Amino acid sequence: MEKFRESNGLRRRVLVVDDEMINREILGNILNEHYEVTFAENGRQAYDLLQERDKKYSLILLDLFMPEMDGFEFMEKLKSKGETNSIPVIVMTSEKTAEVKSIKLGAVDFITKPYDMPEVILARCERIIELYEDKSIIRSAEKDGLTGLYSKDFFFEYIRQIENYNQSDSVDAVVFNVERFKLINELHGRVEGDNILCRIADIISQDLEGSLGIGCRVEADTFYVYCYHKDNYDDILELLRQELSELSQIPKVRLRIGVYSNVDKEIRPENWFDRAKAACDRIRGDYTQQISYYSSEQHERELYQERLINDIVKAIADKDLRVFFQPKYDIQSDKPVLKSAEALIRWQHPEFGLISPGDFIPLFESNGLIQRLDNFVWEEAAFRIKTWREKYGVTIPISVNVSRIDIYDPELEEKFIKILDRYELTPNEMMLEITESAYADNANALIGVVKNLREKGFRIEMDDFGSGYSSLNMLTTLPIDVLKMDMKFVRNMNKDEKSMKLVELVLDIAKFLNVPVVAEGVEEESQLSALKKIGCDLVQGYYFSKPVPPDQFERLIEKEVK
Amino acid sequence: MLSIEALREYGADVDEGMHRCMDNEQFYFMLINKILDDSSIEKLEEAIGSENLEAAFEAAHGFKGVLGNLALTPVYKPVSEMTELLRSKEKADYGKYIEEIKIKWAKLKDMCGQ
Repeated sequence: MEKFRESNGLRRRVLVVDDEMINREILGNILNEHYEVTFAENGRQAYDLLQERDKKYSLILLDLFMPEMDGFEFMEKLKSKGETNSIPVIVMTSEKTAEVKSIKLGAVDFITKPYDMPEVILARCERIIELYEDKSIIRSAEKDGLTGLYSKDFFFEYIRQIENYNQSDSVDAVVFNVERFKLINELHGRVEGDNILCRIADIISQDLEGSLGIGCRVEADTFYVYCYHKDNYDDILELLRQELSELSQIPKVRLRIGVYSNVDKEIRPENWFDRAKAACDRIRGDYTQQISYYSSEQHERELYQERLINDIVKAIADKDLRVFFQPKYDIQSDKPVLKSAEALIRWQHPEFGLISPGDFIPLFESNGLIQRLDNFVWEEAAFRIKTWREKYGVTIPISVNVSRIDIYDPELEEKFIKILDRYELTPNEMMLEITESAYADNANALIGVVKNLREKGFRIEMDDFGSGYSSLNMLTTLPIDVLKMDMKFVRNMNKDEKSMKLVELVLDIAKFLNVPVVAEGVEEESQLSALKKIGCDLVQGYYFSKPVPPDQFERLIEKEVK
Repeated sequence: MLSIEALREYGADVDEGMHRCMDNEQFYFMLINKILDDSSIEKLEEAIGSENLEAAFEAAHGFKGVLGNLALTPVYKPVSEMTELLRSKEKADYGKYIEEIKIKWAKLKDMCGQ
């Protein structure tokens, strides 16, 4: 800041108001070198000068006793228009009694008469101008330009200040979010969007009036509120609902509210709002709920997930994360033949024990860590293919999962090729499983990646086929090599005729596409024989083997080789 | 002809006055010459004559400020004392003050060659 002031060469304008010409001359002579000085002979002239909007004054030096309009009247006039807020006034007086009155009218400092030494006058002027400029910079950064609520940094700073004096009261952290706000902006224009945001801010401000609460707008359509604890937020939600339906032509502007009640004051205010936001996010897209309260279970779950996230690197290093293999058998020959395997991750956590993949895979999918996990599995699978080929003289192709997020990795192909090189494998020894949900995300991206991989010789398996949507449409555009029928089909196939028909339908589709089918989740003899009868090629499931560690899988190979 | 020595001899606090004028002698002298055109003494005398202490205070107060800034102590002192008496509207022998002011004023004018 100092540097800016010194180097920017800006000459601030100072208005000297005094009826005595000699006093004006003396001050002008002192100030001239540093400031652009304008003179007025009385309050009236000075006030008129301030109305000329093209000139901005940084400071007013004001005499008190003047004809026409004296200094007091001038300050009253400024004060009534709120203008003393923007331009500081230094009063020039030798009288103590006048100082009190001046301060009440908004004067910020005094220069005595006869004048102080020039150095003192200059230092005072400089200091006051600096203070005011800093204050106005702070003011402009403190508030959100659109809604007038605090900006995020200041919001948290003020919370900390309030909390210094308010450690015992229970307070809530509340997050307001407009559902699908981007669409409102796109469909109805920015002006309409801004109107809605301003109205929400107004209602929040009204609600907080007279209390210690404060609000801020954190990002486009998200508001934070810090306030005394309330048992519920139904009233403000209802008020917002009414006001917004009156304000906007848009049929339904839907708000979500996340509340972290009775915040834990041992943790940082930023974390309070993380929790309120987590509660708010939990009901995204849920049209049955508009208010969500952060609960201790949710907190426990988050802590647990946080632990898993923190532990994953160590888990790989410590071999707590291990790759298991589940065999796939060809059932169309007389005797089932071990054909291939699927690599599956298992996590034996030193504290939590065996963790279900259902606990950590969706979590790592949501934050991108799944790529680390996938890479680890790919590497491990490649290593086993090579080891077993060398040890038993046969190749057991292994399928590995390729997560949705991997599809967008521009280095995906390169990564596989490097792995193949490292373990001297050919692409057809490693099979890649993708799920149909990846297709729902971005069909074109997936089709492109799959085509490239197939051109390089990799074989693609469609995993969990039939569990999601868009299956049929997908099959016409996405080239695949194997269809893996979701285990739910197998589980129900012997329960009723309809379910059996569905299995047959999947087999027909595969026949039409000219690809083999792998039936997952086969656990019973009856399922196996039914599948064999209707022409299913490959089977995976507990009937043959659960996923097993590499040494146990070797027993299965040995049995086969003999 | 006005000079620093003459002013000093007159009793002005020259150093202070000069410094207030950023030690610019020419500027300081110019202002002193200008103040000689000031009609405050006439106004003051008139107001006292008509016993308008309010008007007398206004004239004295403004005049005092300028004299103080120029550090013309010999005139500043009686004007300052008078201002304080007038502020509290005290009955005093203002004529005596005016007499003194006029004498000092005449001396200053003389120094300036007027």
